[in-house]
Amino acid sequence: MLLFLILLPLFGGAIAFVLPKNQQRRTILPWVSLIHLIGVGSLWKFLPDTQFNGFLGLDVLGRLILTVVSLLFVAVSFYLWGYLNDEEKHSDRIFMSSLLFFLSAMTLVTMSRHMGLLWIAIEATTLFSAPLINFHRSPHSVEATWKYLLICSVGIALALLGTLFLAVAATSVGTVFLGALLENASLLSIPWLKLSVIFLFVGYGTKMGLAPMHTWLPDAHSEAPSPVSALLSGVLLNCAFLGILRVFQICVAAGQTAFAQDLFLIMGLLSLLVAAIFVIGQADYKRLFAYSSVENMGILALGIGLGGVGLYGSLFHMINNAFAKGMIFLVTGNIYQAYQSKKVKDVKGLLGSYPVTGIFLVMGFLAVTGVPPFGTFYSELMILNAAIQSRHYWVAFFYILFLAVIFMGIAESVLRMLHRGTKGQTTGPAPPMAGPAHKEDLRLILPILFLGAIVLILGFYMPSFLDDALKGSSALLGGR
Amino acid sequence: MGIQILLHIGIVMILSPLLLGIIGKTKAFFAGRWGPPLLQPYYDIGKLFQKGNVYSITTTWIFQAAPIVCLAVVLVSSFFIPLGGLKAPIQFWGDIILFAYLYGLARFLMMIAALDTGSSFEGMGASREAAFSCLAEVVLFLDFIILALLSKKFVLSEIIEGNILSSWPLFGPVLLLVGASYFLVLLVENARIPIDDPAIHLELTMIHEVMALDHSGWDLAYIYYGGAIKLFVLGGLFVNILIPYHSLSSVMQTVMFSGGMIMLALTIGIVESCMARLRLNRIPLLLISAFVLALVGGIVVLVKGV
Amino acid sequence: MWLELALILIIFLGIIILGNNRLGTMIQLFALQSFILSMTPLLVHPGIHAVIMTAATIILKVLVMPSLLFWAIRHVSIRREVQPLIGYGKTLILGGFFIGAAFFISSKMDLPVKAISNLLVPSAFSIVMIGFLLLVSRFKAITQVIGYLVMENGIFLFALLLLEKTPLLVEMGVLLDIFVAVLIMGIVVNHINEEFESTNTIHLTALRD
Repeated sequence: MLLFLILLPLFGGAIAFVLPKNQQRRTILPWVSLIHLIGVGSLWKFLPDTQFNGFLGLDVLGRLILTVVSLLFVAVSFYLWGYLNDEEKHSDRIFMSSLLFFLSAMTLVTMSRHMGLLWIAIEATTLFSAPLINFHRSPHSVEATWKYLLICSVGIALALLGTLFLAVAATSVGTVFLGALLENASLLSIPWLKLSVIFLFVGYGTKMGLAPMHTWLPDAHSEAPSPVSALLSGVLLNCAFLGILRVFQICVAAGQTAFAQDLFLIMGLLSLLVAAIFVIGQADYKRLFAYSSVENMGILALGIGLGGVGLYGSLFHMINNAFAKGMIFLVTGNIYQAYQSKKVKDVKGLLGSYPVTGIFLVMGFLAVTGVPPFGTFYSELMILNAAIQSRHYWVAFFYILFLAVIFMGIAESVLRMLHRGTKGQTTGPAPPMAGPAHKEDLRLILPILFLGAIVLILGFYMPSFLDDALKGSSALLGGR
Repeated sequence: MGIQILLHIGIVMILSPLLLGIIGKTKAFFAGRWGPPLLQPYYDIGKLFQKGNVYSITTTWIFQAAPIVCLAVVLVSSFFIPLGGLKAPIQFWGDIILFAYLYGLARFLMMIAALDTGSSFEGMGASREAAFSCLAEVVLFLDFIILALLSKKFVLSEIIEGNILSSWPLFGPVLLLVGASYFLVLLVENARIPIDDPAIHLELTMIHEVMALDHSGWDLAYIYYGGAIKLFVLGGLFVNILIPYHSLSSVMQTVMFSGGMIMLALTIGIVESCMARLRLNRIPLLLISAFVLALVGGIVVLVKGV
Repeated sequence: MWLELALILIIFLGIIILGNNRLGTMIQLFALQSFILSMTPLLVHPGIHAVIMTAATIILKVLVMPSLLFWAIRHVSIRREVQPLIGYGKTLILGGFFIGAAFFISSKMDLPVKAISNLLVPSAFSIVMIGFLLLVSRFKAITQVIGYLVMENGIFLFALLLLEKTPLLVEMGVLLDIFVAVLIMGIVVNHINEEFESTNTIHLTALRD
């Protein structure tokens, strides 16, 4: 089953590469992703054993992230069906097959039980997502792709070095299989483990978009087509997060929790600070939400760093954030198609011209900033709770401060987009550039509705299987 | 000891212009020419000795003293290194520093003599010489430090004779690094291509030769002779570092040393044929490279422990 | 002794690459460095793994990547780095400083693995740092790729320490990944050239806050 889930998108991608017409490729995509989702669903009955000499395997944490990946991918693939019709200009052969290969690589990330294989899988996600960002082939998207490739490759090279350090630390264990490392964690050499943790942290943290290494993220997110931004932000970052969590697991097992938690706290707060600074007065609405991704990754890191309830809250927030981010970026896709601009000032009177998209924008904005009744609110609350319980009062203070600043920063831009604007501002070029002729396509609405509904439901009701999965995962990370 | 010193002086004085001759022949060979005869440098020097001196009225005694002092100083410096089977006639604790600063003294005199003329070109040459040689000096000292560390001695000839030999099996790579950086210093000190071109007489690009523009007759001969001896002595040190022959019989030592010197001259000739002179602003870069190489060698020695 | 000679030569070439401004020469020097690098597995643990590693490295790093890079510079017709962010002299001095730091740090960490030579770890660190320096101090896209590759060489050197332990699968995957990375980077370099008519990443500054 595990191998099937990896190979399915791989074959799908290969077939998509061979098929002659864009239309055929676009029909393959949703089907492959649906079958993938069904396969992932079947894993919830029981967890399969590790396979291939222990290289592949799935634990509760991996399954959780795999499910999020698969769900979001289904939504995006249906959305793409409607979205790409408008961009019929050139063949999307490379785009489509990269998309499916990308899914395959992400599946492999969640299933890797070997630190080297994990590294390969994460590197593969970088390589396959680069053509996705370069879809438009404009100077800007080339620039974004270059930065993405270069920064992430350097990050991933550092992660490779970290993996090698880990292997040195595990000399007496003899392998870098995750299971063996966790069982024999007391044999690890502590100085090398610490060095390796720092390198892996920086390496995978680059991919995840944690603060000092986040510089590729806004560019890539704003230049990629919106559905791709949704995938990058919703699931790719989580895959990198999984990589870091594996490292954290090893640290916990080796009794180095405090050291790793300090790293998480510092990076988390720094990410929040950077996001708060750049969100204010952001002129590009896709960059705005990209910085919101930096913020949310910071929150995830903070939750892990605080420990206790924070672990549960952080994992819960990861799920919420994935769907909320997926939703908001799909909404930005609709807005971009309507206005053909990514500038906040070009988008005016959204609520009047495109009421459904407008309402979704409000919903998505509330969801990503963590306003009740959305699930994000509860997960952010849990992390705050963890900060107070563990007596990190300063952390709690800055956390609330940054969240408030980011909320205000995003709210300012979003509100400007919704309304037609005051008299003084209407002096510029006439608003709705694309005109009101655009009808809101149902295919571009339903996937957003689907994702929005998930975030909303998670705010009211926690299904027991999800609760169990979250508890099981936080137990893996040393929580109780 | 007096005999030894006289022997050293004799060998150095007689053989050093030959090195220049070999370099010239090599370059001519690579350029596809027959070239000047091997003994041309002797003829040049001899010709200059037959002429009289011309002094500008603005110059003082410094200008007249500098060439002869330069010649004397480089001759003295040759006393500290063994030449093949001949042991170094003078050796004492710390002579390695005297060795380095004898060249400093020669350079200092040449520079003030150049400034003494009041010519703007010569001043320019002096300033360039000062800038580049102060970079080269750092590298030279770093190399000496590494060698001293390796042998735990502070006497030049002892460093060379006893301990290079024992270091080769263990520290071969380090000695190669030292050799590489020292070779660059050698090129700088002797104003060879790619640092400076002794054949070109264009004041704007010259470094070393420009300082000798106003010298004539005997003085110029001293300077040429001094330059040849400098190349011979520094080259001899290079050969001593790189070829561990010091346990052989003294005849074999002499043979090895002579072979090494000829190889060195050929190498310099080949380097000069293959490369063009570097632009002035690239020269510090070359010296910094030499510095970093020597630094790496030093670090390796420190890490590995002696 | 031979291993140490190889290590010193690799560092030596790294320094020379750092001080060079001709792209063609840099690529040749990189190929030479990779060639010496590819010999090191044989010097460390002669055996079937080492032979395969050597063969794979020679094919990928000595033949394929340099020719790809040469193809790229022919394609975009650039020859030299015009104006580096940090001057050559300064990068060289910084490089020397970093090498010193690398040796210092690795002297503080005691290896649980039996080291073949106590120069292996510090040289690996040094090469990684030289590559990183090259990456951050230059503007040309190709120079940055070379910097990345030099960095990878350093990591390869470190992986030698674990040659007995890490399965071949991972090593191969690593090489392949690097190869694909360079391929894609080459294509992007080409795109950069088409879009901006120059592969100077200094033009890539439209996206910023």
